[in-house]
Amino acid sequence: MRVISTMKFTFFRMVREYITLLLLLVVPIVLLTVFSFVLEGVTTETGEPLINEQNVIFVLVFQMFGGALAMAYIHTDFFTERKQRIYALPFNQTLYAFSIMVCGIVYSVLLGIVLMTFSEFVFGADWGNWLWAIYIIFLLALLSNIVCLIFTFSVNNFKIAERLSEVYGVGFVILAGLIFPVPGNDFFVFVNTYVNPITLAADAIYGMNQSHAGEAWFRSNILLIASGVLFIVMLILGKRKIR
Amino acid sequence: MTIFWFSLKRSFSNTTNLIFLTLFPVGAIFLPMGEVWPFLPYGYQFFGIIVLFVGIRLATIILEDRAKGVVKRLAVAPVTHFQYLTQNLLAFSIILILQSIIVIYGGVLYGHELYHPEWLLVLFISFSFTSLAVALAWISLYRSKETSFLVYMSVIFLIVFLGGLLMPIEAFPDILQRIAVIFPTYWLSEGIVWIVFGNDISEFLLINGVLWLYTIIFLVIGSVRRIN
Amino acid sequence: MKTGLDANFFINGWRFLNIILLIHLWIIGDSNAGNFILILLLLLLASLRWRLSLPAWSVLFDLFFCLLYIPYTNISHYGLALPLFELVLKGKWLYSVLLFLSSIILLSSSDFIFWHLLQAMLFGAFSYFTLKNQHVQLERLDALRKSEYELERLKTDLLKANQSTSQQARLLERNRISRQLHDHLGHDLTGASLAIQAYEHMEDQQKAEQLLEEVKKRIQRSTIHLRETVHNMSSTVMTGAERMEEIINDFHQFDTSFKKYGDTFSVPAYIWSLLESCLKECLTNTARHSNATKTDIDLQVTDALVRLSIQDNGTKQNKKTQFEGSGLRSLQLRTRALDGSLSISNEDGFLVVCVIPLQEGVDRD
Repeated sequence: MRVISTMKFTFFRMVREYITLLLLLVVPIVLLTVFSFVLEGVTTETGEPLINEQNVIFVLVFQMFGGALAMAYIHTDFFTERKQRIYALPFNQTLYAFSIMVCGIVYSVLLGIVLMTFSEFVFGADWGNWLWAIYIIFLLALLSNIVCLIFTFSVNNFKIAERLSEVYGVGFVILAGLIFPVPGNDFFVFVNTYVNPITLAADAIYGMNQSHAGEAWFRSNILLIASGVLFIVMLILGKRKIR
Repeated sequence: MTIFWFSLKRSFSNTTNLIFLTLFPVGAIFLPMGEVWPFLPYGYQFFGIIVLFVGIRLATIILEDRAKGVVKRLAVAPVTHFQYLTQNLLAFSIILILQSIIVIYGGVLYGHELYHPEWLLVLFISFSFTSLAVALAWISLYRSKETSFLVYMSVIFLIVFLGGLLMPIEAFPDILQRIAVIFPTYWLSEGIVWIVFGNDISEFLLINGVLWLYTIIFLVIGSVRRIN
Repeated sequence: MKTGLDANFFINGWRFLNIILLIHLWIIGDSNAGNFILILLLLLLASLRWRLSLPAWSVLFDLFFCLLYIPYTNISHYGLALPLFELVLKGKWLYSVLLFLSSIILLSSSDFIFWHLLQAMLFGAFSYFTLKNQHVQLERLDALRKSEYELERLKTDLLKANQSTSQQARLLERNRISRQLHDHLGHDLTGASLAIQAYEHMEDQQKAEQLLEEVKKRIQRSTIHLRETVHNMSSTVMTGAERMEEIINDFHQFDTSFKKYGDTFSVPAYIWSLLESCLKECLTNTARHSNATKTDIDLQVTDALVRLSIQDNGTKQNKKTQFEGSGLRSLQLRTRALDGSLSISNEDGFLVVCVIPLQEGVDRD
C-alpha cells in the first residue's frame, strides 16, 4: 500500500498546476458570469430561466476536459524519461497509474462541485438534488478520464492523443448543438439521446429535477455501463504499456 | 525570402496544423444555414473563430523560435528582426488569405447565398490580418507555447461571444452592447451584417479601416523582440 | 545585478491608463462607434511611443486627431491630455503651457477637464525630471563601474607583480648564497683538498707538516665562513607553518586545533603570506560574528597543491555579513590571482577552504 502515500503528492502536483486551475475553474467562472449577465431574464418555452439550463450544461462541458490532467501525468510518469525512475520504485506500477487516475477524477469532481456551488449561490441556478448532480458529474469525470487514458495508451504520439481528447470534448459539444443547432434528423437525435455524454448527463439531471427518476436512472446507467466497458478496454490497452 | 519559404513549409509540416489549416476551413463550407440568425450560413458566421485559432497556431511558431533560441541566434545572423518578423507574418497571412479564398469560393460553388462574396472575402482578409496581429501581441506575453495557446482559447471564446459572433449583439444588455465595440470581433460581425443588409460602401470601408487600425496597433505592440 | 523599475514603465502605464480612461468615458458616454476610432488612433500613437522614441513634433498627430473630433465628442477634450503630457515630457514648456491655456480658454469645457489636463502636465513634468535624473544617475553609475573595473584590474596586476617579485627575490637570494659559498668556502675547501692530495705524495717531512698546517687553517677558516653564511641566511622572523602556529596560539577567544601534513617547506613565501591573511581573517570573523566555541584548522601540502581548511562550529551565522564581507572577497580575488580557489560554506558551522596549486619547476626546486 505504498501507492497510497504517493496519492498526496499526486494531488499536490495537480493543485499546483495553475494553468489547469485557470482553464478548468477561473475560465468557467468568468464564462458563467458573462453568460448569466447576458441571459438575465431570458426564459425557455416552459418558463424556466435559461440560465438554469446553461449553467448546468456549462459545468458538465468542463467535466469533459477533466481527463487531460491524469492523461498528462500518466504520460510524463510512464512514457518519458521519468519512466525508469518510476519502475525503479518499490511499488506496484499499475496501482500507481490507477491512483493517478483516481486523483484526476477526484480533482475534476471537486472543481465541478466548486463550479456547481458557485452557479447555485451566485446566479441561482437550480441543480435539484445535489447528491444526484455530484454523482452525474462524477460519471462524466470518470468517463472523460477513461477515454483520455485510452487515447494515451492506444496512440503512440502523445500530441495526437491530446488533440484526440480535445476532439472528444469539442466534438460532443458541437454534436450537442451548443455552438449551433444541429439538424434534427434521426442520426443526431439518436446520438444526442443515447451516446453523447453531455446530453446524457444534462438529461439525467433535468430528469431528476422534473421527477422522471426512471428516465434519469436510465441515462446515468448508460454512462455507467459505457464507463465500465471502456474501463475494461483501457485495462487491456494499459496492460500492454504499463507492466 | 528564405525565411518566408521556410515558414510557409513549416506551417504545413505539423499534422495538427495541417488539420487546422485545411480541414476546418473546408468543414466550414458545409455547415448549415441558421433559421433566423445568423444571416450567413454558420460556417461563415463562425469563420472568424477559425481565423483566430489559425492565427494563434501560426503565431506560436514564432514563440517556438523564441523558446528554442532561434531568435537569439538570429540576433547574430545577417538578418534583422524586422525582416524575420515581416517574412514570417507574410507567410502566415498568405496561408490565411488562401483559406479565405477557399472558403468563399467553395461556398459559392456549394450554392450558399453569400450576398457579396467579393466583399466578404475582403472582410475575411482584413480580419485575418487583425487575428495575426492580435496573436502576435498575445504571444509576446508568454514563454510557453502550450500555456499561451490554452489561455488564448478561452480568451477567443470570450471576445467572440462578447463581440457578437456567437449571439446577436441586440440580445445583450445595454452595457455589454457598448463594451462589445472594443473587441475586433464586433467589427467583423458588423461587417457580416453589412454584407447582408448594407448598401453604403463607405460604412464597409470604415469597418475594414478599423480592423486595419487594430492590426497596426497590435503589430506595434507585438513586434517587441523578446529573448528568453 | 538587480535593477530597479524603469521610469518608462510608469510613463507608459500613464499613457495606457489614459486610454483606458477614454474608453471608460466612451462607454458611459455617447458610445458612438465612430468616436471609438479616435480612441484607437490615440492608442496607436501611445503604443508607437512605447516601442519607438517618436520626435516631439509627433504630438501634432494627437492634436490633429483630437481637434478633428472636437465637434463630435467630448472625449477628444480629455484626449488632449495625451499630447499635453508628451509635450511636457519632451521639455517643451512654452508649447505645453500654450496648449494648456488655449484648450482651457477656447474649449470652455467642464472643470474636470481643467484638472485632468493639469494633472497630465504635472505628471509629465515629474516624468521629465525623473527621466533626466535617471539619465544622470546612469552615467554616474557607468563611470563608477568603469573605475571599479580598473581598480580590480590594477589589484590583479599588483598581485601578479607581488608573486613575480617574490620569485625574483628568491632567485637573487639563491644567487647570493651560491656566490658566497663559491667565493669563501669553495676557494678554501678546494685549496685544502688539493693540499691533502699533495700531502700524500710529499716526501719531505717538514714541508709536509707545513702543508698539513695550511690545510688545517683553511678548513678552520671555511668552517667559520660556513657558520657566518648560514647565520646570515637564516631569518630572524618566523615563517611558514611556524608562523601559522604562532598566530593560532596567540588566539585565546576559543579553542583551536591545528594539524598539518606534508612538506611545508616546499611552499613558497608568497603563498604563505596569503594563507596567513586567510587564517587571520577567518579567525577574526569567527570571533566577531559567530558563536563558535571551537575552530579546526587543517593544512595539507601535497606535491601539487596546498589546502587550508578552517572549520568552526558556530550556529548563528549571518549569511550576508559573512559572504559579502570585503575581507573574504579580497582574499578570494588574491587566491584567484594565484590560480587557486577559496570556497565558503555555512551549512554546518562556517567552513572556508583555500586551495592553491603549487607550480612545478618554478618555485619548488
